Amino acid sequence: MTEQSGAVYDLGYEPFDGERSGRKGARKAVYIDGIRRVLGLGRKARRKIMPWTLIVIAIIPSIVAIGISFILPAGSPDTINLADQNSEFFLLSGTMTMLFTALAAPELLIPDRRDGVLSMLSSRPLTPGDYLGARFASLATIVAGFMIVPQLVLFIGQAATDEEGLFQGFINAADTLPRIIAVAAVYTIAYVPLGFVIASLSNRKAIATASYLAVMIALTAFTEAIVRESSIPAGRWFALLAPINTADAANVWIFGGSNPDALLAVADISPIYGIIALVVFGSLLSMFSLHRYRGLM
Amino acid sequence: MAQTSFTTTGLGYAYGKIAALHSLDLQVPNGRTGLVGANGAGKSTLIKILLGILTPTVGSATVLGLDSRKDMIDIRSIVGYMPEGPCLPLDQTAADFLIYAAGTAGLPKRAARQRASDVLTLVGLNEERFRYLGDFSTGMKQRAKLAQAIVHDPELVFLDEPTSGLDPSGREEMLDLIQRLGGFGIDVVVSSHVLRDIERTCDWVVMLDEGTLLHAGPIGGQQTDGTVLLELTHDSDQVVSALRTAGATVTGRERVLEVSLAGGDVYDTVRDAVAMSGASIRRLDGSGGSLEEMFLHHGSQR
Repeated sequence: MTEQSGAVYDLGYEPFDGERSGRKGARKAVYIDGIRRVLGLGRKARRKIMPWTLIVIAIIPSIVAIGISFILPAGSPDTINLADQNSEFFLLSGTMTMLFTALAAPELLIPDRRDGVLSMLSSRPLTPGDYLGARFASLATIVAGFMIVPQLVLFIGQAATDEEGLFQGFINAADTLPRIIAVAAVYTIAYVPLGFVIASLSNRKAIATASYLAVMIALTAFTEAIVRESSIPAGRWFALLAPINTADAANVWIFGGSNPDALLAVADISPIYGIIALVVFGSLLSMFSLHRYRGLM
Repeated sequence: MAQTSFTTTGLGYAYGKIAALHSLDLQVPNGRTGLVGANGAGKSTLIKILLGILTPTVGSATVLGLDSRKDMIDIRSIVGYMPEGPCLPLDQTAADFLIYAAGTAGLPKRAARQRASDVLTLVGLNEERFRYLGDFSTGMKQRAKLAQAIVHDPELVFLDEPTSGLDPSGREEMLDLIQRLGGFGIDVVVSSHVLRDIERTCDWVVMLDEGTLLHAGPIGGQQTDGTVLLELTHDSDQVVSALRTAGATVTGRERVLEVSLAGGDVYDTVRDAVAMSGASIRRLDGSGGSLEEMFLHHGSQR
């Protein structure tokens, strides 16, 4: 019989002696978790269905437009000039983006309160402002990305269908990139803060989603009625209260177009004032969210 | 490491007009400390102040030598907290949540993964690491809560009612885990209204009642005041006789006796009497020094 050899090692508890990134690392972790949560990553399959369905639906028009411009010969009356489509596609995806925001904002804030995760986070190197800032950044990133990805697909399509070849096509279309980013930023400022505030107030995701959509639509209807139909003195300034209209007008303006029937145009207010109003309202709403979270963590 | 887990000086807190803590002066040494008191005694309020979640109305507190108001971020980098209520995202797997929990404490990604794996093994959840937390039993959830509290290797961990909702075996396992934490160099503050849990796991105790301090001090030194509770398997007049011969005072009847001895070791006397008479012991408890009696004693003096 051979002599048995060997030993059982109790590895025990290994202390962590490495460097801790403290507050910065904590904010980064909350930010990344926010993006994963909205996209349903690391969650059950049914949690992925809604976000990814919306993302695919948002990209399809770009792919179809590129496909048509490839199939139809240049000069055909039905062909699509992709270079003119950026602004149109932002208008087209605006409603989809609003729906995406309505679903994403509650997902970022409500489960953490409902499941008590804030209790865990309140023992981490985070202030309420850090937590909300990181979650806001997650939402802004994902909403901006939701609008930018179809535009990038379109951008690649523009370059690919350029008569001077792909490389030159990228150079020719390059000036649209900063406009795409600017417009995505405007829509993000228009859509995200309100969704964030409503999600910070509601304890049920479905109610938060419905409330957000209702408020956005009601604001549009209310301001349309005041600006176009009423004779209230200085009523035209109410146009600044309509985030959807303002973002749409800014979109057209940034891409160098004009729409005389847009609410801001009817109110005779420059889109730049509309953008400033969005930033001011967004800041106020964000401060309200912060107030709501004081004492919670 | 600081010489104390935490200190408070004239600490008070009020929820509006309702006072939750009254002028608390404490110096709690390193080690395992029990925070005991009935519901509403102010235990959770004290923990929340120490974590910087609540700002004291009056007075001040330090945690591991750091000021709870000024150094809140630094404190939170080196402490862990297991809340009494839920704190787990039910739609996440145990492994993902632990990695996230380690990340929120500032650990780099690779270290967070390694620590998450190690700590899940430590609390006995390694086999369950890819299961969703929403599918966990109560006992498994309590373990996961403990895991998130220590995943970042804190210097001090606050455990708020860690055995809440656990069955007897789950309770034993949780208490074993808590006892082991001290061996890892982690100071532990356990809040509980189950005094036996504190007796078993801690070497220091802070007793609170309606926001005031009843008593603070070591547990071990108070266990014996010369009286023990002896339960035998059968009636034994011989044991009673032997005890009385040895000078002990014996009260009680049938198999359950309270034995007191002034000026000697009561345990040795009981041992000798039982051995001499050939009886068997079912239970032998220290009496007069239990936390429960201490709590009642200090409470009655208020």
